[in-house]
Amino acid sequence: MSAINMSRRQFLKTTGIVGGGLVIGFSMTGCSSSELPITLAQQGFVPNAFLQITPDNGIRFYCPRDEMGQGVTTGLSTLIGEELDVHPKDMEILFAGVHSDYNNPDFGVQGTGGSSSLKAHYLQLRQVGANTRGLLVAAAAQDLGVTASVISTRDGHIVVAGKQYPYGQFVQTAASLEAPTEAALKSNAEFRYIGQAFQRVDAAAKSTGTAEFGIDIDIPNMHHAVVRRSPVAGAKLKSVDKSVALSMPGVTDIIEISSGVAVVAKKYWQAKTAAAKLSPLWEEVALSQVNSRDVRADYNQAMQQDEGVVDTDEGDVKAGLAAADHIIEAEYWAPFLAHAPLEPMNAVVRIENGEADVWSGTQGIVAAQGLVSRFSGIPVEKVRAHSTYLGGAFGRRGTLTHVIEATEVAVASNKPVHLLWSREDDIQNGVYRPASLMKIKAGVKNDGSITAWQAKRVGGNITPKTLQNMMPALFPGLNEGTIDFMVGLSQDIFAGWMVDHASVEGLYEDYDTDNKTVNHVTVEHDIPLTFWRSVGHSYTSFAKEGITDELAEKAGMDPVAFRLKNTQGNPRLNNVIRVAQQHMLAMQPAEGRFLGFAAHNSFATDVAEIAEVSVIGKTIRVHKVTCIVDCGIAVNPDIVRGQMEGAVMFGLTAALYGDLELVQGAFKQSNFHDYPILKMSEAPQVEVVIINSGTAPTGVGEPGLPPIAPAVASAVYQATGQRLRSLPLKIA
Amino acid sequence: MIEFILNGKPVSTDDDPTTPLLWVVRDTFKLKGSKFGCGAGLCGACTMHIDDEAMRTCMLPISTVAGRQVTTIEGLGTLEDMHPLQTAWVDASVPQCGYCQSGQIMAAASLLKHNPNPTAADVDAAMSGNICRCGCYVRIKGTILSVAQQNLAYNAAQEQKA
Repeated sequence: MSAINMSRRQFLKTTGIVGGGLVIGFSMTGCSSSELPITLAQQGFVPNAFLQITPDNGIRFYCPRDEMGQGVTTGLSTLIGEELDVHPKDMEILFAGVHSDYNNPDFGVQGTGGSSSLKAHYLQLRQVGANTRGLLVAAAAQDLGVTASVISTRDGHIVVAGKQYPYGQFVQTAASLEAPTEAALKSNAEFRYIGQAFQRVDAAAKSTGTAEFGIDIDIPNMHHAVVRRSPVAGAKLKSVDKSVALSMPGVTDIIEISSGVAVVAKKYWQAKTAAAKLSPLWEEVALSQVNSRDVRADYNQAMQQDEGVVDTDEGDVKAGLAAADHIIEAEYWAPFLAHAPLEPMNAVVRIENGEADVWSGTQGIVAAQGLVSRFSGIPVEKVRAHSTYLGGAFGRRGTLTHVIEATEVAVASNKPVHLLWSREDDIQNGVYRPASLMKIKAGVKNDGSITAWQAKRVGGNITPKTLQNMMPALFPGLNEGTIDFMVGLSQDIFAGWMVDHASVEGLYEDYDTDNKTVNHVTVEHDIPLTFWRSVGHSYTSFAKEGITDELAEKAGMDPVAFRLKNTQGNPRLNNVIRVAQQHMLAMQPAEGRFLGFAAHNSFATDVAEIAEVSVIGKTIRVHKVTCIVDCGIAVNPDIVRGQMEGAVMFGLTAALYGDLELVQGAFKQSNFHDYPILKMSEAPQVEVVIINSGTAPTGVGEPGLPPIAPAVASAVYQATGQRLRSLPLKIA
Repeated sequence: MIEFILNGKPVSTDDDPTTPLLWVVRDTFKLKGSKFGCGAGLCGACTMHIDDEAMRTCMLPISTVAGRQVTTIEGLGTLEDMHPLQTAWVDASVPQCGYCQSGQIMAAASLLKHNPNPTAADVDAAMSGNICRCGCYVRIKGTILSVAQQNLAYNAAQEQKA
């Protein structure tokens, strides 16, 4: 094993960089004593950063993570409510402001992603709930003149001798007492809310149009901004004639900003109409000459000629290959993808009297605060950052270029600004899931044991690109030169010294073999990259599972039995595959339908999927998907089901349609007509089987995605005999 | 000046007649429940009812709705008084991010009004212009079909009483 090959965990500890969502874990020391961003109610009692209890028994929960659809408001309120003995439906749930107490314990910063929230907050929020309950019990004991041992609690009430007293009755006394710090937690058997499939706490607001998203923010004198940007990433504005647009109705300002040129008007449609009249000219950059075929050619060349950097080197791959009865070698391709959350990027910024407010749906509101501070010159303490619901994110809302733009426009126009991207902006000016060329060479014996696994990936790296976006946000005081230096350093490190784990995660871990190597060759084309639902796993699972099917065939084994044989060192995944096998054996697909299987571990969760597929002409139709998941304790099984259903659909969009074509440095696709999203008429039935292994919860937002593309590809092979090794899947 | 009926109340606006209805409703009348997703009639997030017909409003100039009835999600039901579809949506925890759901519910309400007993294929046909990026299709479809069944059972019971 190479000296520079740190494990991912070591790497995270060392640099504080994490995959899946947000980045950078610098502890924000000194912040914890600062004032909490909580509006005090009349006689409200704030025992800690997460709760406020009012005398009329209002229980407010300040949710530290961002709600992007994954159900985190329900999940985290369930954790704190379980120990506090308050049902989530009886809480008022608010999005927390910026404070280090709201840091994601896994990241060390306020960030939501990496399927981390329930795992990271599982013990923390339960402990906060238990401690607060302990405090209320002590206060009640004092006020009621009884010993604490005769007090029980239920649904927001103190119970003594069958009589109920609302928590709110004791807040004044509680405020004078010291809270316990290590109150006992419930055993799993005592859970009343954890493990129950109750309704999402945000379902009513989201079914009546009353849930407030960033785009819905409306403040007095708010103006609307629309930006024209270069179609080629990184190209600066050369010149623009503003005269026609400036004379159009409602237009108040036309401002050159770092990303292009912004039109400000009284109403959105006026800004949008005027912006269309601009014909900005852009500088040429290196990327301006690059087409999709050039990217592929560069990757091909790197795959053939560069050894790259060693990520993993275990055992003796040469000897393993020599010992094999059969050797399989194949290349797999996955394209650049946009996230396309349905709510386009937007932000509202108001700057007044040396203070600022920012509203935006983000995967880390502290980053919005930092960017407003950096680009307005207002100190962070004077920037109030307000979270909203996120209209989808999938990794996209960790990059906040739109907050920079809104700040620049608010400063230059001296007006409160609502800045909104179009769908075209979203698809053409975004940050992307990196394209990947992967090669795996593996050996297998006739008895089905894998003797060697040699994997290599070529493509761009997410982490330095994300650093580039996040460092200015998280360190608003750091000058650009330092940031450029650090970003450059990280690029060099990942290109020449160590592998960005997000680039290769999932390519080699799941199956037993003593002999493994993983190499990585960095090839960048200045295309902005970031996390995309399930990150590296979104493409590595396709290569890993595809090769596994081919190995099984060579060994003359059933592909599921082959995976069972090769997961002896991975008991939880083995069990998921075993349960899936039982379901699969009971299936009797109709004439013309075929079953494909895949399994994958990501974000500490194990998932297997069985896809029932037909192929008619060149059309691949997925009729049904059965998804078996072990995510430890399912805090809310219905939300786990929903996340699996959703990840299957998200993954199918990528498997069947997702493709971006680069033409002279610009992505050609622009809206849902040429970047289609799976429709209801194309959506399969989804059956979800949850295995409750009883251990602490692991992620569910992303792990349902990686198995779907290889499961469909496997079924397509059954149907047609074609091994499809490129995404999106296309019948030859 | 263009006049129309918005959720039962007469309104008028001097917005440019080419302005899409979505932006007049959101920016001028401050009803934010209808969403912008694509601006090209491709995703359905902006769906409203124009005289009981579900329509995409992100490209529909307000000049075309002069004198007509416009219903938005806010006019369909409220937190206190939900439309049966909204109640069922909550019961089934249909929404994830929730951004498309106003449009989904408006499209579904129009479908059930015109076809109280839709088949699964009818639901697919009526709803396939409404994209859900979170992929809540399994629940959206199941909930529409179950509300249709409830309505039919209710109507049958009423008929029997009469």
